[in-house]
Amino acid sequence: MKKIISILLTMVLIMGLFTGCGGTKTGSTVESGKAAPSTELNIYMWQQYISDDLIAKFEKENNAKVNLSYMSDNADAITKLTAGGGQEYDLIMTCDAYMESLVEGGYVEKINFENIPNASNINEAYWTAKEYCVPYLMNYIYVVYNKDTSPVEIKSYNDLINPALKGQIATIDGARNLFPIALVALGYDPNSTDEKEIAEAYEWLVKYNENVVAYGNAEQNLTNGTASVAFTYDGNASWAMSELGDKNNLVIADFEKDPVQLGFDLYVVPKGAKHVDLAEKFLNYITDPKVMAANLIEYPYSCPNDAAVEAASDAYKNDPARDFDYKQNVFFQEDVGEAITIYNDYYQKLKVGE
Amino acid sequence: MNNKNILKRKMTLPALAMAGPVSLWMILFVTLPMLYIIYISFMSRGVFGDVVYEFSLESYETLLDATYFKVIVKSIKAALITTGLCLLIGYPFAYYIAKKPKEVASRLIMLIMIPFWTNSLMRLNSWLLLFQTSGPVNKVLLSTGFIDTPMSFVYTDGLVLVGMITTMLPFAVLPMYSSIEKLSNSLLEASADLGASRRTTFFNITLPLTFPGIFSSIILVFIPSLGIYTVTDMLGGGKVLYIGNIIKNQFGAIRNWPLGAALSVLLIVITGLLIFIYTRFANIEDMEVV
Amino acid sequence: MSISKKQKRKKFEDTIGAIYSIAIYTILYIPVVVMMIFSFNNQRYNYYWNGFTTQWYSKLFTNSAVIGSLWYSIVIAVLATVISVAIGTIGALGLKKYEFRGKKFINNMLYIPIIVPEIVMAVALLIIFMKIGLALGMGTILIGHCTFCIPYAVVTIKGRISGDGYSLEEASMDLGANRIQTFLNVTLPSIMPGVMSAAFLSFTLSIDDVVMSNMLAGAKNSTLPVLILSMNKSGVTPDVNALTTIMILVIVLAMILNNLIKYALKKRNKAEATI
Repeated sequence: MKKIISILLTMVLIMGLFTGCGGTKTGSTVESGKAAPSTELNIYMWQQYISDDLIAKFEKENNAKVNLSYMSDNADAITKLTAGGGQEYDLIMTCDAYMESLVEGGYVEKINFENIPNASNINEAYWTAKEYCVPYLMNYIYVVYNKDTSPVEIKSYNDLINPALKGQIATIDGARNLFPIALVALGYDPNSTDEKEIAEAYEWLVKYNENVVAYGNAEQNLTNGTASVAFTYDGNASWAMSELGDKNNLVIADFEKDPVQLGFDLYVVPKGAKHVDLAEKFLNYITDPKVMAANLIEYPYSCPNDAAVEAASDAYKNDPARDFDYKQNVFFQEDVGEAITIYNDYYQKLKVGE
Repeated sequence: MNNKNILKRKMTLPALAMAGPVSLWMILFVTLPMLYIIYISFMSRGVFGDVVYEFSLESYETLLDATYFKVIVKSIKAALITTGLCLLIGYPFAYYIAKKPKEVASRLIMLIMIPFWTNSLMRLNSWLLLFQTSGPVNKVLLSTGFIDTPMSFVYTDGLVLVGMITTMLPFAVLPMYSSIEKLSNSLLEASADLGASRRTTFFNITLPLTFPGIFSSIILVFIPSLGIYTVTDMLGGGKVLYIGNIIKNQFGAIRNWPLGAALSVLLIVITGLLIFIYTRFANIEDMEVV
Repeated sequence: MSISKKQKRKKFEDTIGAIYSIAIYTILYIPVVVMMIFSFNNQRYNYYWNGFTTQWYSKLFTNSAVIGSLWYSIVIAVLATVISVAIGTIGALGLKKYEFRGKKFINNMLYIPIIVPEIVMAVALLIIFMKIGLALGMGTILIGHCTFCIPYAVVTIKGRISGDGYSLEEASMDLGANRIQTFLNVTLPSIMPGVMSAAFLSFTLSIDDVVMSNMLAGAKNSTLPVLILSMNKSGVTPDVNALTTIMILVIVLAMILNNLIKYALKKRNKAEATI
């Protein structure tokens, strides 16, 4: 008898493990709108990207628990959305370049903007796929350098392949970050689908690669002296500059005509999300100018929410990392369709080396 | 050998109880997934690099590109160096621990593992913090006048090798320890009593008898060294890709699942071949339990 | 005369061995020490040393996310170790002793998780779980971990039992013990170093695993390595260093305590024996 009970208990335990540990039964919305409101919100986004205090406030105001999981790469989010696991989340963060394919593939839900009045604060110019996403923060991808140790004064992308910079550049990685600057430097469209142009961009990047000391964590290498030039996000440059404080000798490259990439991190609602009502409440919450302004104190990234930028602190408005005058000279990352395989092939060739 | 013949009678219940769970697990969670991987290596790539269930050989055609051959050769070379060094460094270490009384040995083994309970990414980052241009090593070298300008240790092959060895060493030491430990002291004493020199004893008795452990170490170090990518990413600055990076990218940033599957199949075939050649050459029975 | 020469030589070798081992331990522990030092770094992300502070330790007690994920990782690691070592030990013994159809197949299957890059296995398992509608969470992560821990356990134990005969076990059974008793009282103790190695290996693999844990995780909890991996884009905050430091101190303390207790017990037994 005892044996049977213990076997049964073990089986129950194992089944409990299999249905996902720690989950409490939560109420989810039903279309009729008469059902109990959700008490749980599952978000998948970048780490160090939203203030813990703001999350706590949201939890209190809505009597709910917010579960944050973090991605390490854009690809993680895409995998969740397209291959599986997306329906476990109510909000997933992705970037604008993927929106077209995500919408076409039916991986994201349409968002009911009647429940998100604050969304009107967002600058239209920064909003692709308007019905399916809400932009959160944005990133200028530009060049900063140490004016005391850099041998070259950088005014265009082509300065980056100057042999004097050998082993001096710390750069972010990614085919869709690197190839566009090569294409721009050669005078082509940064979202080109022409194999010849991409091949030339590859040659340009080979020279760039000579000057690169490391990919990834660009601002770490810039501040600890390993590199004197960094190709990185403005938010991270802001961190670097504020860390150095008085000793800050980092300047933004004063580009004369080359455009820089402007990328967006946006929230989408994955297909099959279970707590859409709370998701909408959350989206309305973070597009509230006061809330976002408070967020920007902790995470001074560029923001497409104009009202929030207006309401932001002076420190944010005077952030040296955003003090450059070519903010209108930008390009966006567009979906290149089939050509992505050409980019990937050349990217691998670049990294494998000769 | 008589023992084994007697036991080869059909003993279904004990056999099932002992070998059953592992067999079931392998079939459910290894065979089935691998069949799926082989299957998708013959499928086409969708918009997001995911699988579109249409037959296509394009993944295997892509593999014929010279780039992949280069990467594989480079990766095998690097893995061989790592394995060789881990064995050389690890064997004396394992021997020393194995000769200690069991209690002491278990504590020593635990001491080896404790660093590995801390996060590997952070440990790799520590090497960077230590050796970077403004780091303590350079500061000391500068202040003692050894060098004039800071040396760049970071993002070099040397540092990557250090990282690989410190990451892989326990996988070499543990199986060798296990094998050396059961080497009976009386055997060594008998050999010495019969007049063999220490060297003869080592090469004719110790080494051959501990060979299963060495073999396990080789397997547990060489193969993961082929597939690992975190060390080169962090300590090498992401400038060089090995086969592990390439495969990981196919399921990550580059997004081409069928190609990733095809690369994995290729890796299995190559590794299987290497192991096959090795076991034939070294005449080991241990690939399948005799 | 030759006896003392032998003793001298042995002592010499012991000393060399000790020095060699200490050198290796030093190299293995340097990153750990650096990590512990940098838990006091006065900087938001650990880029370089910027002054001393203990703020991260106080922050730890308010940041439940980091501690929560450590706990989650430990629970998974313990479960994975127990399951993998259990299945792996009896599996290794069974595979050595018995012949059955498909034995060669299972042997080869065991090498697959070691050969194939983890990301491939993780992706394949994810697809299969999706197809059968299994919700992602602790259970799926556990399956993933055990899938690569079991082969490591089997390979380790195989290295230990290779060449062993069955005379001890047969003697035990002749004397009247049944199979289970023989296994627990005869076989297991004799292969204990191998089992211990396998347990340590499995625990280590599981607690530091990032690939499986990332791919097969549910929405509610993350393991600590996954948390740290996602910090890589911006930088790891020193509170993680602080947590690691505390972890290590706890382990070292436990080991010292264990030794002290054993020593005290030994002394007491000795004292009682002399009465």
